[in-house]
Amino acid sequence: MTLSHSSAGSARRRPRGGAGQSRAGVAFVAGYVILLIAFGVLPTGYAVYFAFTDAGGTFTGFSNFVTTAQDFRFTDAVSHVATYLVFWLLSLVVFVVGLALLLHRLASGTISKALRFLFYIPGALAGAASVLVWLFMLDPTVSPVSSLLGVMGFHTFGAVIAPGNLPLLFTIIAFWTGAGGWIVVMYGALNNIPQDVMEAARIDGAGSWQTAWHVQIPMLRKWIVYMVILAFAGGAQLFVEPQLLSLASVGVAGRDYSLNQLTYDFAFQMNNINGAAAVSVELLVVSVSAAALFVARSGFFDAD
Amino acid sequence: MTVTNPSARQRRMLSKRRSVLVAGCVATVMLSAAACGGSGGAGTTTKDGFAQAPQKDGALTVWVDATRMDAVKLYQQQHPDVKLDIVSYDGDANGSNYLQTKVQLFNRTGKGWPDVVFSSQNNEVTWAVDAGFAAPLDKGLIPADTLGKFANGANNPCTVDGTLYCLRNDLSQAVLWYNAPLLKKFGYKVPTTWEEYQTLGEKVAKEHPGYLVGDAGDSFTPEIYLWASKCGANQITGPKAVTVNTTSEACTKMAKLMDVLIKDKSMSTSGVFSTDFGKNLGDKVLLMPGPAWFGGAVFKDTLKTPAQQIAAAPIPQWKGDTSPSTGNVGGGTWLLSKHSAHLKAATDFLKWVTTDNAYQGEKAPGFPAYAPAAETWLKNQSAAGYFVGDLGALKDASSQVWSGWGSGQFSQEAIWAATVKPGLTQGKTIVSMLPDWQDSIVKYAQSNGYKVSK
Amino acid sequence: MTSRLLTGAVLVMFLVFFVLPVLWLVLAATKTDQQLVHGNPLSIGSWHAFKANWDGLTAFQDDAVLLWLRNSALYAVISLAITLCVAVPAGYAMAMTEFRGRRALLISTLIVMLMPTATLVVPLFLEINAVHLIGTMWSIILPYSFYPFGVYLTYIYFTTAVPKDLLAAARMDGCSEFGVFRHIALPLATPVIALVGFFSFVANWTNYFLPYVMLPESDQMPIQVGVGNLLSSVPSFNPAASSLAIERPQLALATLVAITPVLVVFLFAQRFLVSGMLAGATKE
Repeated sequence: MTLSHSSAGSARRRPRGGAGQSRAGVAFVAGYVILLIAFGVLPTGYAVYFAFTDAGGTFTGFSNFVTTAQDFRFTDAVSHVATYLVFWLLSLVVFVVGLALLLHRLASGTISKALRFLFYIPGALAGAASVLVWLFMLDPTVSPVSSLLGVMGFHTFGAVIAPGNLPLLFTIIAFWTGAGGWIVVMYGALNNIPQDVMEAARIDGAGSWQTAWHVQIPMLRKWIVYMVILAFAGGAQLFVEPQLLSLASVGVAGRDYSLNQLTYDFAFQMNNINGAAAVSVELLVVSVSAAALFVARSGFFDAD
Repeated sequence: MTVTNPSARQRRMLSKRRSVLVAGCVATVMLSAAACGGSGGAGTTTKDGFAQAPQKDGALTVWVDATRMDAVKLYQQQHPDVKLDIVSYDGDANGSNYLQTKVQLFNRTGKGWPDVVFSSQNNEVTWAVDAGFAAPLDKGLIPADTLGKFANGANNPCTVDGTLYCLRNDLSQAVLWYNAPLLKKFGYKVPTTWEEYQTLGEKVAKEHPGYLVGDAGDSFTPEIYLWASKCGANQITGPKAVTVNTTSEACTKMAKLMDVLIKDKSMSTSGVFSTDFGKNLGDKVLLMPGPAWFGGAVFKDTLKTPAQQIAAAPIPQWKGDTSPSTGNVGGGTWLLSKHSAHLKAATDFLKWVTTDNAYQGEKAPGFPAYAPAAETWLKNQSAAGYFVGDLGALKDASSQVWSGWGSGQFSQEAIWAATVKPGLTQGKTIVSMLPDWQDSIVKYAQSNGYKVSK
Repeated sequence: MTSRLLTGAVLVMFLVFFVLPVLWLVLAATKTDQQLVHGNPLSIGSWHAFKANWDGLTAFQDDAVLLWLRNSALYAVISLAITLCVAVPAGYAMAMTEFRGRRALLISTLIVMLMPTATLVVPLFLEINAVHLIGTMWSIILPYSFYPFGVYLTYIYFTTAVPKDLLAAARMDGCSEFGVFRHIALPLATPVIALVGFFSFVANWTNYFLPYVMLPESDQMPIQVGVGNLLSSVPSFNPAASSLAIERPQLALATLVAITPVLVVFLFAQRFLVSGMLAGATKE
């Protein structure tokens, strides 16, 4: 196999490669493509089909979308999710990138390693497992931080989970479980920034803040974009946190809070899988649009 | 440039593992495909009021929650020749909808249904009949004289359009629990009317502040107080029809009573299972209207009240009311699948588990719905010696549950928890929230496809 | 100096945030239910209570908790192996080679990754039923093995961390495409293999809804579904669960048991995550 290779030239992306590389590329992805079709494309296609048909399989246009949007909980759920997304995205981007940079600057490798582990631990606590934890954390009667809650003016569990506090609470819970994993990813990415680039910055007299802002963060761009795309979708599909709080509070807070909770309710309580699919498709469209925006602005798909 | 290659071996191992996996996967697919050869075939026969699947030998599949596991195990012990496939699930607790979800899926694939299911919810028939899952029980499967011995009204939640589709496992009729030695020490009498109850509550607030005559902080609070007061918040009038009126006098007078006692702090606003209650109020209970299972699950197990303190009295009545009435909080149900290919075995099991003394009388944690078993159960409770006196009040109450409060597909408990409970925390009165409560019930009922009248 | 103090303060603050609830949970497993409610939240219980909780937990349906762990391990590890074999070459190919459909593949992967899962369960169930795999462990292992997140991690890793020149040079030396992948790309990919492997393991281990809906028998349940069942046996979360129920400290202990394997795998994977081995490879 011969490759006509030129190392210089900016427009080399397309012409490079050739038939051999193309064939090999296809072979490398073959196994994945099978899984993608079986467990990704087909079910998603099926769900989209559900969204535009009724229980009998007759095409119904947008009527599922209209009926579900008229549900009395729909508008509230949209505004809940929107508020939550603001809190969630901000906290995730700022604190994850910030903490990864701080950890990366630590002189002691052992401490940094230990901290990454400790930050990660909550990530292992999923779903039902953390109901107990948050019930006891947020209940001033038994909480280890009851004095802190008291200072903020919360003296009963009911006061803590008042409707106005919910977006913040869900952000805290989601951040607690989800941030550690992303910190590990970002830290790994920081490690992959070549030493000479960092040294060059240092020789130019850049302080650590300047290096972070002008060198490290730009080089993390793809990772950050990826995180934001997934965090946006995950946030729009908020489900676990309100469900968890609803269990802990025996239904006082968090029930029917988010759109994704409504899809579960439609699908499995009201036996309306078509309505559920319609809401899911709406969430998908929103997430994909947001992703497209980020991808287009960042050159995310370029193989460079 | 040098790039060493330490991982060729590792890679080989990976690819070897992969080929093993692929081979294993292919083999499994083929095996299981082959195993599912001859299924189905012959048509159905209509008997006992429904089209029955062809009957076959094989294991009886039974779904139960962790608590009812003991019942199935006992059955297996007593009937060693019956083949059972016991599946433990969450019992549909907390509105998990597990059974409904799975039945929907099984309906699509045409197989997989369990033969008999226990559910901790008593509103399963609201969807299980439409879904073609629950078999009619009073059309030949269960003899009428067996059904006649269930406590009066016990199987109301199981009845759709006059046909019975499930059997109640236990009853949760509300009574007035009280701390007998404490009441004696304070020199009070057990109130028999709600008026006396309120007076006593106000007196306790003055004479013994801190002590409680009740609790209004649970999601099932309306089922204890407002149901007993014949408040028409949940009158299920047909399979998909409900009448909701939360502002009638029956509702407001009870709401007012509760507001007075809440304000006096002799009625708590934190639920009996909350940590606040367990920590600060557990030993302050003087009186407590509550369902049958409060005796074991709340006093004995959660609050760890010592033996020989708790006793049960009839729930108070409004002065001048001629017929006694009380509420009900939950109580599980058993369903039998229409698709069962082992109807004989399934029916035998269902009869045994709901009526046999060996389980319902001797072992069951809740008050049996089947009256003869309830007699034995009460005797055993007296013999165990935890309660003061007998629990005769439970027996009387079991047939006095007001029938005007139904069980619909939407959860009244969830609605109360989300609508009224947050307001209570903020210090609003129940009376002021009654219209909001009605509004919320109406919305949930409508979104579940109910026709609502007021 | 102040900057260093600030760094320390921020890290300590987040340390408390992340660790305090976990610490509480660990301590909770050593207490009785009474101590949990009445005692100091951060006090230590007793060995005796811990032992009692352990006995209570294992008594739940005759050691069911050990069976759940075994099931989880089986599902998670097999799916992890398939995921690695499939996702790493795929992510590599999308990043480092040009082939027809590359962009379409990237886009469709992203789209299905963003699809909410609630409505996917029904199609998945029907699909698995169509190939007669309902009731087998493959009904959840195969869907688990599809791990688009891992493909993207690999894709980004290769596009950001491995210079194309490196591969081009190898090709000029006469390596075949598979040779390039095997001899150049894979050795460089250790960090991302560890990352994908770890996240895939965690995703499989913590998945609740798919096995909850898919598996027909309770002795097939993984630990997450098991903990869910335990939760519904605790009276505070489910008043319908009567006596003989699970108490909260036992639930805490079950939770700890459920997360331990994930933490062990993390510690193991972390050794490979950090390596900045590329720095050396690119310096010529």
